[in-house]
Amino acid sequence: MAEYVDEASLLSASRKVRDSGYTKTDAFTPFPVHGIDEGLGIKPTILPFIVLCAGLTGLTTALLMQWWMNGVDYKYIISGKPFGITPASIPVAFELTILFSAFTSFLGMFALNQLPKFSNPVFTNPKFDRATNDRFFLYVNSADKYYNRESVKDLLAATHPESLDEVMEDTTPAALPRPILLGAMLLVFAGLIPGAIILNMRAGFSNLPRLHVFFDMDFQPKKKTQQQTTVFADGRTMRPQVAGTIARGQLEEQDPFYLGFDPAKISATTGRSDLMLVSTAVQPPEGEPAPAEPAPTEPAPTEPAPAEPVKSEGTPENQPPADQPPVEQPPAEGEMPATEPTAPTEVVPTEVAPTEAVPAETAPSQVPATPLEPAKAVEPAPAAVPAPAQAAAPASGTPALNLPWVEKLPIEATEAHMKLGKLKYETYCSACHGYAGFGDGLVHKRAESLLQPTWIPPTSLHADRVRTQPVGQIFHTITKGQGKMASYATSITPKERWAIVLYVKALQRSRNASIEDVPVEDRSKLEEAK
Amino acid sequence: MNLNYDKASIELPEAWRAKTPIFAFVGVVCILFGAACFFMAPTADGTNSKAFRYLAHSYLTNFIYVLSFTLGALFFILVQFLTRAGWSSSIRRLAEIMMMMIPYIALLFLPVLFMLFQGSSSLYEWNAEGITNSIIAEKAKFYLTKEFFTIRTIGYFALWIVTATWFFRISRAQDESGDVELSSVRQKWAGPLIMLFALSMTFAAFDWVMSIDADWYSTIFGVYLFAASMMAFFAMMIVISMSLQNAGKVQKWITVEHFHDMGKFLFGFVMFWSYIAFSQLILLWYGNIPEETYWYDVRLRDGWQYLSYGLIAFHFAIPFLGLLSRHVRRHRVGLLFWSIWILVAHWLDMTFLIMPNAGPASFFPLAGHLLGGLGMLCIFAALFIVRATGVPLVAMRDPRLPEAMKYANPLL
Repeated sequence: MAEYVDEASLLSASRKVRDSGYTKTDAFTPFPVHGIDEGLGIKPTILPFIVLCAGLTGLTTALLMQWWMNGVDYKYIISGKPFGITPASIPVAFELTILFSAFTSFLGMFALNQLPKFSNPVFTNPKFDRATNDRFFLYVNSADKYYNRESVKDLLAATHPESLDEVMEDTTPAALPRPILLGAMLLVFAGLIPGAIILNMRAGFSNLPRLHVFFDMDFQPKKKTQQQTTVFADGRTMRPQVAGTIARGQLEEQDPFYLGFDPAKISATTGRSDLMLVSTAVQPPEGEPAPAEPAPTEPAPTEPAPAEPVKSEGTPENQPPADQPPVEQPPAEGEMPATEPTAPTEVVPTEVAPTEAVPAETAPSQVPATPLEPAKAVEPAPAAVPAPAQAAAPASGTPALNLPWVEKLPIEATEAHMKLGKLKYETYCSACHGYAGFGDGLVHKRAESLLQPTWIPPTSLHADRVRTQPVGQIFHTITKGQGKMASYATSITPKERWAIVLYVKALQRSRNASIEDVPVEDRSKLEEAK
Repeated sequence: MNLNYDKASIELPEAWRAKTPIFAFVGVVCILFGAACFFMAPTADGTNSKAFRYLAHSYLTNFIYVLSFTLGALFFILVQFLTRAGWSSSIRRLAEIMMMMIPYIALLFLPVLFMLFQGSSSLYEWNAEGITNSIIAEKAKFYLTKEFFTIRTIGYFALWIVTATWFFRISRAQDESGDVELSSVRQKWAGPLIMLFALSMTFAAFDWVMSIDADWYSTIFGVYLFAASMMAFFAMMIVISMSLQNAGKVQKWITVEHFHDMGKFLFGFVMFWSYIAFSQLILLWYGNIPEETYWYDVRLRDGWQYLSYGLIAFHFAIPFLGLLSRHVRRHRVGLLFWSIWILVAHWLDMTFLIMPNAGPASFFPLAGHLLGGLGMLCIFAALFIVRATGVPLVAMRDPRLPEAMKYANPLL
């Protein structure tokens, strides 16, 4: 190894070495020296070619991966775009190309330089420390096929180096000693054992509990819901609800204001809450005017008190088919008759009914919702009642739910509530059901114009079966959805929903009124308007 | 360093000077004949009612094509001074000559302005009288009016011409005096001027090219044209340098290392153009907003799809693979081949940007458009020769010139 003071002498020396035919040479410089590559005759590296191959591998891998994963194995639907390779595959393809290329160029550089090398014989010479400082070294390896100790020495001496030394290579064998090799092999095989055990376990079954290596916080001194405990006398971990309290979230589960029906009445009647809560088509038997007959005989009408589940218990046979929940008395809602519940027209308060004329005479036209005098009610009741009963099981669409609907609007029928209901109706409902409730909203018109074969038209709110629905049922429909209609519970608060129900009833009333509904003093105005 | 040089080696070849009128004449004839082709070819309805529309778009395409070389040159000069680069000092004068062609090429925009003031909306639809499209109407109220448009155009050209002239004058002054301070001045001002260049180029791209389709927009459009211009510039530089060397000039000033570097830049900007073009595509296409995707949709139907898909192959994939190897970049014929390829691909790219706005490809007279392009190239050649006459082709007293001569690419 020859030592030089500046790069010019190194370069000229390296050229001489190259021209003499030595190939296993190397130079060590503190900074990159221009021209040293040609000076030593170093051939261009093949690394770029390796990187190119790696890049193409990355490209192919990425494209194949995306094609297979998103186009074949699990056809991932993205806005109806074609399956397989699309322009969207390009970013990933680009990234993987670059990734593979970068990793390969980095690792390839190390590999081609035979790195990491634990040591180099040149380090044995203390003069070599200056290679990173201010000296330049040139080195001819004895492994070179032309190597001859004397001629190399002469050649290098002729270049007038600062110093010329021999580098003694470490001749200790580089192979691992046998004991270490054996020990390493033993460790490797020992390391395979846990993996083998696991694979074996995966292939079979075991009754034993799992090995729990890290307990973490898996066994805690606390009780879970259904566990027993000695802390309380009854041995239960869970405490029953304290009387007179409402648990968090319980209100929304139990209060009819939030549900549209009274869940307490369900359990109090047949106990078949499953039948009532599940939307099974519980139709009345064929031709049976059953709802009509028992209906007038219900003791409910005679009680002026607000209808309670207690009454209905007396007529359990009525419960399943008919939509006949007991009615709560309307407290003098003379001004807004439209808010009255519909179906149980026989459940008529003995007190004064609103001053409409008896629509019972027009029973065939299915006048809804006007509480009638008991006497008059009995007669049209059979006629009027079956219709709602059958209306409860609609001819088409989802089978009716058989629940104890709320009959009386729980909010006051004020102007403010009506305005609120109108606002919310027009916001949320009119898109499908139309501004007047005929089911001709813009969504329906659009679907019609697109000639959609699977389109179910939005229900007209003036259909018979809807008109006869109790307020609670309409509320329930908004809350839970019905058929194609989704639930609007997240968009509309319960109070707003009741306001919408109020407005819907007003809409229904508006399309199903007769001249008798108009106050006498205003009738003349109508005549003029004609 | 010993800089013996032969003065003749840095002068424009005599033979070239003689060719100037030929180039100019051929150029003008090509353009006129190409224009006539438009009126001879039938359009969709059998008449040539859309001929003028196609012609206007074609003219703008060829204008932008030729302008892009000069704008790329301007940016190149600014960057070389910003980075105080030494390797490029021997080829820089050629780029300076190219950027000094901007004033002449600006004159080529006059027909477009004339057409605007005649009230034609064949090219720019916002110049029409009763615009029904509300978005365009809104823009046409103030920004897209022919007056403001012209003012902006003058502004862009003014900025570029002033910058180019100033840099060129200082460069020529340095030829006489060799004053190192003159380099410092340019280095100092290169930064702010680059920012102004970026802004002006972006808005010029918006005005001249993007506003053809006035209710579409892409914020990356300026970058797109910039990337294309740089790529085209390097291709043109390689062609001009090699032509000069083949004519016996600047033999020792532009070495294989310089060609290697220009090839590297060419490759890099092919890559960059592809990246930008794809970015624009993926965001607009997968963003799936109808008023933005239709621009691509137009270019994927009526015959334009061949051009669009062709660009992917001919403007990206093939040149990318071709220019990847350093051996190609150091090989004279190989590099020349790819440079010419890129020049053609760039012309196709400008066509892709502008022509589909005119109408379907099937009724578009390619011959006329091609003649227009060739004509513009001939005019460009003539202008280059005119501009290069009497100007040393190398900045002889640039303080960084020795660095350029010593410059060698590492073996790797």
